[in-house]
Amino acid sequence: MKEFISYTLISLGLVFWLWGTLPLLGKRSVLFKLHSLSVSDTLGSMAITVGLLVHFPADWSLLFLALISLAIWNTILGYVLAFCSRGGQKDG
Amino acid sequence: MTVVLMLMLAVLLIPIYVGARDQDVWQRMLAFCSIATKTSIMILVIAVIRSDWAIGVVGVLILSLGNAALMLLAHILRRLNEL
Amino acid sequence: MDEFYIVPIVFLLPLSAVMVVMQTNPYTALVMRGILGAVSALVYALLGAADVSLTDALVGTMLSITLYAIAVRSSLSMRIGAIKLDKNDPLLVPIAKSLSKYFMRLEIVEFPDGDHLNSALEKGEIHCKFDRHETEGCKLLIRVPRLYEILTAAGIPNLSIVLLEKTGAGL
Repeated sequence: MKEFISYTLISLGLVFWLWGTLPLLGKRSVLFKLHSLSVSDTLGSMAITVGLLVHFPADWSLLFLALISLAIWNTILGYVLAFCSRGGQKDG
Repeated sequence: MTVVLMLMLAVLLIPIYVGARDQDVWQRMLAFCSIATKTSIMILVIAVIRSDWAIGVVGVLILSLGNAALMLLAHILRRLNEL
Repeated sequence: MDEFYIVPIVFLLPLSAVMVVMQTNPYTALVMRGILGAVSALVYALLGAADVSLTDALVGTMLSITLYAIAVRSSLSMRIGAIKLDKNDPLLVPIAKSLSKYFMRLEIVEFPDGDHLNSALEKGEIHCKFDRHETEGCKLLIRVPRLYEILTAAGIPNLSIVLLEKTGAGL
């Protein structure tokens, strides 16, 4: 049962990765790609990490740290990239 | 778990291809951002499979510090457009 | 055969290294160097070298990219010295356009009077001098031969470009 839950979560994360990365190949604007990429990368990576957490509970501290840094840094990075690619204001 | 790693590698090839294709610098930054996250998650998976604590710590450090390099580079690239 | 997944992942390293070498634009080459750094950190961690991987990610990628970005940005620029020159002057647009083909930027340095301008040109602090006469029109005196070649090849109207003879000043 534990194995089933963890593999389901990991495959869900992989599907998220694939779904968010495929728009990179298209010819849409940078902001559209950034949106799908940041959402799917953050959620997919968090799903994979939670799957690993269910499978290997002994490494919980490491995986928990990874979850926190994913949630914080990837969100901020999305904002910074969007701000910079639009040109940004003078005082940025 | 090996299958999971192989699938991750297959997904990782997409942003590498996008980064190699001739496009403007922001599309490449997006590809770089995606690759940075994906490789550090792969490092984390490898560490957990082998239950090697040192590699896991490196994965978490790269996950949190590698993004800082991306932000610095993005700010420098933004200031190129100003005269 | 338990860990055969190492082989395809290690193949990413030469692939991304070749892609770095193929770049012509210095800024995209920097981004590709970042991708190479991420891939090599992955490969080193895969081979069990946690310390090498951490060093590569922090020093090899983060520090070297930041330093190189600043170095490329400040070296690939043409400094124009002038007494009075507006940033949005219409004459600057074709100059900036022809320089951007070589991934260069324009930088304007303003001086209070002609003496300071000439001494800065002789000392090598600026690459060229911009003169505006009411009767003769605009004139650009360039110290660097390669910049002279690039700008004359662009054929900018209403601007006469003159190459200065070497006065002994270093580049």
